[in-house]
Amino acid sequence: MATTTRPVRRIQTRARPGPIELVVEGLREIWSRRQLARYLVQADMIKHGANTVLGNIWWVLDPLLQMAVYVLFVAVILGKGGADYPLFVFAAILPWKWFSSSMSDAILSVTSREAIIRQVKFPAIVLPVAATASGVVSFLFGLIPLFAMMLLFYADRITPYLLLIPAVAAVQFFFSLSLCIVFAAINVFFRDLGNLERHLVRLWFYLSPALYATKDLDPAKYGILAELYKLNPWVVLFESYHDVIYAGPKGVPGPPDWAGLGILLLVSFIMIGFATFVFKRLEPAFAKVL
Amino acid sequence: MVSILRKSRTEFSPAGPASLPAGPVDPGYMMRVEDLGIRYDLRLTRKTTIRGTFRNLTKISRDDRSFWALRNVSFEVAHGESLAIIGPNGAGKSTLLQVMAGILTPSEGRIEVVGHISTLLTLGAGFDVELSGRDNILLAGAFMGIDAREMRERLPGIIEFADIGQFIDAQIRTYSSGMRARLGFSIATAVDPDVLIIDEVLGTGDAVFRVKSQRRVMELAKAAKGIVMVTHDLNWAEEFCNRAMLLEKGRIIAEGSPAEVVALHRERSDRARLERDAEIARQVAAATA
Ligand SMILES: Nc1ncnc2c1ncn2[C@@H]1O[C@H](COP(=O)(O)OP(=O)(O)OP(=O)(O)O)[C@@H](O)[C@H]1O
Ligand SMILES: [Mg+2]
Repeated sequence: MATTTRPVRRIQTRARPGPIELVVEGLREIWSRRQLARYLVQADMIKHGANTVLGNIWWVLDPLLQMAVYVLFVAVILGKGGADYPLFVFAAILPWKWFSSSMSDAILSVTSREAIIRQVKFPAIVLPVAATASGVVSFLFGLIPLFAMMLLFYADRITPYLLLIPAVAAVQFFFSLSLCIVFAAINVFFRDLGNLERHLVRLWFYLSPALYATKDLDPAKYGILAELYKLNPWVVLFESYHDVIYAGPKGVPGPPDWAGLGILLLVSFIMIGFATFVFKRLEPAFAKVL
Repeated sequence: MVSILRKSRTEFSPAGPASLPAGPVDPGYMMRVEDLGIRYDLRLTRKTTIRGTFRNLTKISRDDRSFWALRNVSFEVAHGESLAIIGPNGAGKSTLLQVMAGILTPSEGRIEVVGHISTLLTLGAGFDVELSGRDNILLAGAFMGIDAREMRERLPGIIEFADIGQFIDAQIRTYSSGMRARLGFSIATAVDPDVLIIDEVLGTGDAVFRVKSQRRVMELAKAAKGIVMVTHDLNWAEEFCNRAMLLEKGRIIAEGSPAEVVALHRERSDRARLERDAEIARQVAAATA
C-alpha cells in the first residue's frame, strides 16, 4: 500500500497572486470545467421546462407577446414607427430578452448555489459562465418565431445577411459575459444588487435604439449627450441586428457595422479579463460570506 | 490497489513555498494539519445589502471584530484511519472540514492532503431540489470534477447503494431528509476517494442504511483510505472510528481512542450543563430574593 503514488495537495495561505495570474487561472478554470458548465446549462433547461412541450411554447410566445405590447403602444397608440415596425421591434426584442435574462440569471448564479459552494471545492466562476451560456438557448428558440414571421409577412426582407446573426450574437455573448461575471461576484456581498440591476437594465433598453432608430434622433437637440450615446455598446448591437434582419442604411438588409462590432469585441475581451480578475479576487471570501 | 489518478485530480492550486518534494510521494499519512488557524472577519462575513451599507455608513460604527474559529490545530490522519471529530455546537468542526476540503483558505498554518478528497460535507445539502436524483448524481460528479463518462459508469452502483427505488427519477424536493442523506452518502463514497470527509453523518438514516453505510466506511478504511467525520452521534463515533478528537472553541482538547475521548466529552458536557444549571438557579434565586 505504501507504494501507491498519490499527489500531495497543500492548502495554505497564499501570497496574493497578481492580476495576470488570477486572470489566467480563471480562464483556465472555465476551460477545464466546461463539462460542469454544460451540465449546468442542461439543468437550467430542465428547470425552465425546455424539455416539455409547454415549456417550449413559452420560449416562442414570450418574445411575440412582448412585441405585441410595443407595437400596440408605439405604432397603434402613438402612431409612430416606420414600415414593417413589428419586424423592427422583434429584431431588437429578441437579443434584448437574451441579454436581460442572462443578467438576472447570472446575478443569482453564485448565491443560489451557496450550499454546494460550502460543500465542494470547485471554481465558482463556472457558474456565471453557465448562466450566460444558457441564455443562448432562449435566443435560439426566439429565432423560430422570427423566421416564421419573416416567411409569412416579410418575405421581401429575407436575404443572405440573416446568416450574419450569429456573428452579431457572438459579440453580444462576450459583452454580456463580462458583465455577468462581475455582477455575480458582487451580488454575494450585496444581495439586493438584483433590484438595482433590473431598473438599470430597463433604463438601458430605452436609452438604446431598440424601439426607435438612431437616425430618428436629432443630434442638435442633445448636444454632448449625442456623443455619449455613441459609446453605448447596445447602439452598435441593435443597429447591427437591424442591419441584417430589418434594413441597413440603404433601406434594405445589409452587412452589420463591422468596425463597431470589432471594437466592441475587443473591448469585451478586455472587460472579461477585468471581470475575471474581480471575480477571482473576491472568490476566496465566498464560502465565508455565503 | 493503485488508485487511478485522473487529470482533474492532479490539478492543484499553486501553493506557497513547499517543504515536501514536489511530485508523487507517499509521506506516510493521508492528511496532516499543521498549526491551523481560521479567522472570521465578522464585518466582512455578515450578509449585506447595498441598503445596509448605506445605513452603516451613516452610523459611525467601527466594529472590526474578528474571531478565531480555529487556532493552533495540528494532527495527522494515517492510512486506514477513520477519525471522528466531536465537540459542542460552534466548536469549529464544520469549519475544520471546510478547510480540509480546500473550500476555506487557512488564515495561518497549513494542511497537506494525499490523493483525491471527496467532500460532500453535509450530506445532500448541496442538491438541486428541482432536478431528479439521477441528474443530481451527475451534477454532483461534475462539481467534484469527475469525468462524465466515469460518473455514468458509477451511476448504477450509486443508485443501487442509495436504494431509494423509483424516487431516483423524481425531483429531490419530493425526498425525505433521510433519502437525501442516503443519496449524498452514496455519491460521496462511490467516487473512490482517498480521503473522505463527512459532516453530521447520517443523522437521519434508518437502521438498515446505517448498517450498510457502516460496512462501506469500514471497507474504505480497510483500503487504507483516510476518513474524517464530524458527528454528534457519540455511539456512531465509538462504533465506526478508530480515533477521535474533541474540539472545543476552536482548540483541540483531547485526541485518542474513541471510547476515552467520548467519555471525556460526555463528562465535560455534563459538567458544563451542571454549571449552567447552577448559574440559572443562582439567577433565579437572586431574582426572587
Ligand atoms: N461564515 C461565518 N462567518 C462568521 N462566523 C462563522 C461562520 N461560519 C461559522 N462561524 C463561526 O465559527 C464557529 C464555528 O462554527 P462551525 O460551523 O465550524 O461549528 P460546528 O462545530 O460545526 O458546530 P455544529 O456542531 O453546530 O455544527 C462558530 O462560532 C460560528 O459562529
Ligand atoms: Mg457543523
